[in-house]
Amino acid sequence: MPESVLVVGGGPAGLEAAHALAELGARAILVERRPVLGGTPDESNYAALTPHLGSAQEALDRLRARVDHPNVELHLGSTVTACTGSVGDFRVTVAGPDGATRQVEAGAIVVATGFSHFDPGRETQVYGYYEFPDVITLPDAEKMLSEHRFVRPSTGEPPRSVAFIQCVGSRDRRLGNEYCSKVCCGVASKEAIEIRRLVPEAKVYIFYIDMRMYGYWENEIYWPAQEQYNVNYIRGIVTEIVQRGDRLLMKGEDTTMGRPLEVLMDVIVLSVGMEPSRGTREIAGILGLEANKYGFIRTPGEPMDPVSTSVPGIYVAGAAAGPKDLEDSMNMAGAAAVKALGAIRSGAAAGAAGR
Amino acid sequence: MQELPIVKVDRIIESDHAVIDGIDISGRWNRMFSQRAITEYPTEAMDWVTGLAGGESLRSCYQCGKCVPVCPVQHVGNYGPRKLNVKVLRGNNLLDDPDLWLCTTCGNCYRVCPKEVNPLEFMPAIREQAVLEGKVPAELQKVFENLQRQGNPLGEPARRRADWTADAGVPVPLISELGRPVDVLWYVSDYTSYHPRGRDAARAMARVLTALGVDFAILGAEERSDGDSARLAGEAGLFEMLAEQNIKTLRKYRFNRLVVMDPHAYNAFKNHYPRLGWEGEVLHYTQFLAPLVDRIEFRSPVELEVTYHDPCYLGRNNGEYDAPRRLLEAIPGIRLVEMPHSRSNGYCCGGGGGGMWLDGFVADHVSERLSERRVREAVATVGMDGTGILSVACPYEPSRFEDAVKSTGNDGRLIVRDIIELIDQAMQPPAP
Repeated sequence: MPESVLVVGGGPAGLEAAHALAELGARAILVERRPVLGGTPDESNYAALTPHLGSAQEALDRLRARVDHPNVELHLGSTVTACTGSVGDFRVTVAGPDGATRQVEAGAIVVATGFSHFDPGRETQVYGYYEFPDVITLPDAEKMLSEHRFVRPSTGEPPRSVAFIQCVGSRDRRLGNEYCSKVCCGVASKEAIEIRRLVPEAKVYIFYIDMRMYGYWENEIYWPAQEQYNVNYIRGIVTEIVQRGDRLLMKGEDTTMGRPLEVLMDVIVLSVGMEPSRGTREIAGILGLEANKYGFIRTPGEPMDPVSTSVPGIYVAGAAAGPKDLEDSMNMAGAAAVKALGAIRSGAAAGAAGR
Repeated sequence: MQELPIVKVDRIIESDHAVIDGIDISGRWNRMFSQRAITEYPTEAMDWVTGLAGGESLRSCYQCGKCVPVCPVQHVGNYGPRKLNVKVLRGNNLLDDPDLWLCTTCGNCYRVCPKEVNPLEFMPAIREQAVLEGKVPAELQKVFENLQRQGNPLGEPARRRADWTADAGVPVPLISELGRPVDVLWYVSDYTSYHPRGRDAARAMARVLTALGVDFAILGAEERSDGDSARLAGEAGLFEMLAEQNIKTLRKYRFNRLVVMDPHAYNAFKNHYPRLGWEGEVLHYTQFLAPLVDRIEFRSPVELEVTYHDPCYLGRNNGEYDAPRRLLEAIPGIRLVEMPHSRSNGYCCGGGGGGMWLDGFVADHVSERLSERRVREAVATVGMDGTGILSVACPYEPSRFEDAVKSTGNDGRLIVRDIIELIDQAMQPPAP
């Protein structure tokens, strides 16, 4: 049987896994729910990528071009609806855009169904995301930044003051999201830089519990934001936002000073974290994968094996497995592709030996 | 009775006469507390500070707090380098804040700062603006005037700068009178020239140089303050004026190297005179003498326990820790014992960066002087039976530490000596 691997999800991790498999000589069957490739960075209008501020669309275009490959079979506007069999012999039902289903056979599966941004309507604080037009989220800001503008949504005017509030929907037992979403400190700092570039007269603040800038993000994003773009980092988190005139009054504590803060802002950006996407929750059920308590796909082999799931022959890449940055996602995609192909080949070898 | 909680507020406003809605509420209970909540994060103060040449690094602080435990001033008060960033980030430009004058520019915070936030640069930059606005503590202003008029911080006449030579016991040639080049031009420094206690080191130095056969001369009345502490205290213009006078004088004479008594002068000649046009070899006297130590003929052992105080501007800020110790270890009889704060973690005497001239001002904001803390550390290291020595290599220190010996109740329990004084003492014939 051909060395076929089903890749579920056409975001960065899925595109990379499909490309890697194709390059290794296997057949990649890439199933993507949306009619276009690119995943969350595309769907959520990412402007520039963290940390180097390169264009998100250009980066995605490069990934898309790489799956234009004779070994890659694309199923756009399609979803996986059922799966039977086991490693070396999965039979998968794929529903196409017209509702028609077809069976595909795959020796292994890579799940790359990603995350969704935390919905601030669930926030335990009173941030009023659905109440105040000038309270927005990181992806809302991305959308404006991708159009090379940054304004107060309520007026269309450039803001004088912009505050980011970190850890919205993350590190919160009450919400059930106890984990750090890993990328928000960097993404907020990156957006802060972009805002300072677009609206130099705006004062930009980041209110945080502690800045979590992993590895090179420290010196590539955090330090330039602070030292070159004059982004003001204030330690202390915000509990409440209320309308005051035509501006927003932010209430919280400045923990460095040990004093309450009540500061007026024009735009407040909620640094929303990651939750499992609907696709991730659904595929876990369809494929019989164990999920962790947060709904992300469990990777029991961690830390040495971050891509194997609870089911032999099924691997996970990217934020379907939890909060991941793009570097993580791309690394996992390569590892998952290799392990998927390895599983098929070792199974075939064992079968040949047993014959 | 139930105890009322203590509420900490920044400021209590109490009107002598308060009338609200026509009702007189004058009295102790009309106290108003200033707003506790922070209502604004103005960025102007930080933009202003970082716009100053030298002020740039203040913004880089990320509040790790490593600087605070190593800052000597925070041991005696509420000051801390980290807190400066906090204040400026919240709108205080420091011009009216006492913190502006508490930093001694000892550099110990900069040594540990992961973000290279450097008070040796931003303090002079902000202080310079305070000087321009006339916001200078009166006692410091007086010293600036002395430097301006007489060329020394003590306000002594310039022509009397070499008066100490009369009691040196050896001839101390003036380079202007020699009429020939010399090997060593000895820059004597302010406190060594004028201060009654500082002069002891000058006389000892003259005797040691003579005994070693060094071809040396001094500038005498032509010498001016190096100006470095004035520069660090915010008087950049005064520093440049003094430096230009000194450079003009130095250019008149030919010599192989400049040897200075004062680490602040060493810092000035080595690191700041070059940009004003003077470049030459400059050595602190310990650096000059250390290679000659085998030629020194010691005749009287000094059977004492000695600890050494690293001057900030010789040690930490210029990297010279070994030369003074080589000299001390060469003196027969001396047992060198290190204090817990030594070498790169040396503890500031409080005199640097203008601190020498701000003792009265600083006293209102600290629980004790840094020199007093240092003396306590020295006593704990070499004992208090009167045989222990706190040795120094900076002209600010003999008088500072001797005052602190007295004020800490250690009179007669600890001896303070410049290293040159110990060398001179050990070179004398043994007492009969």
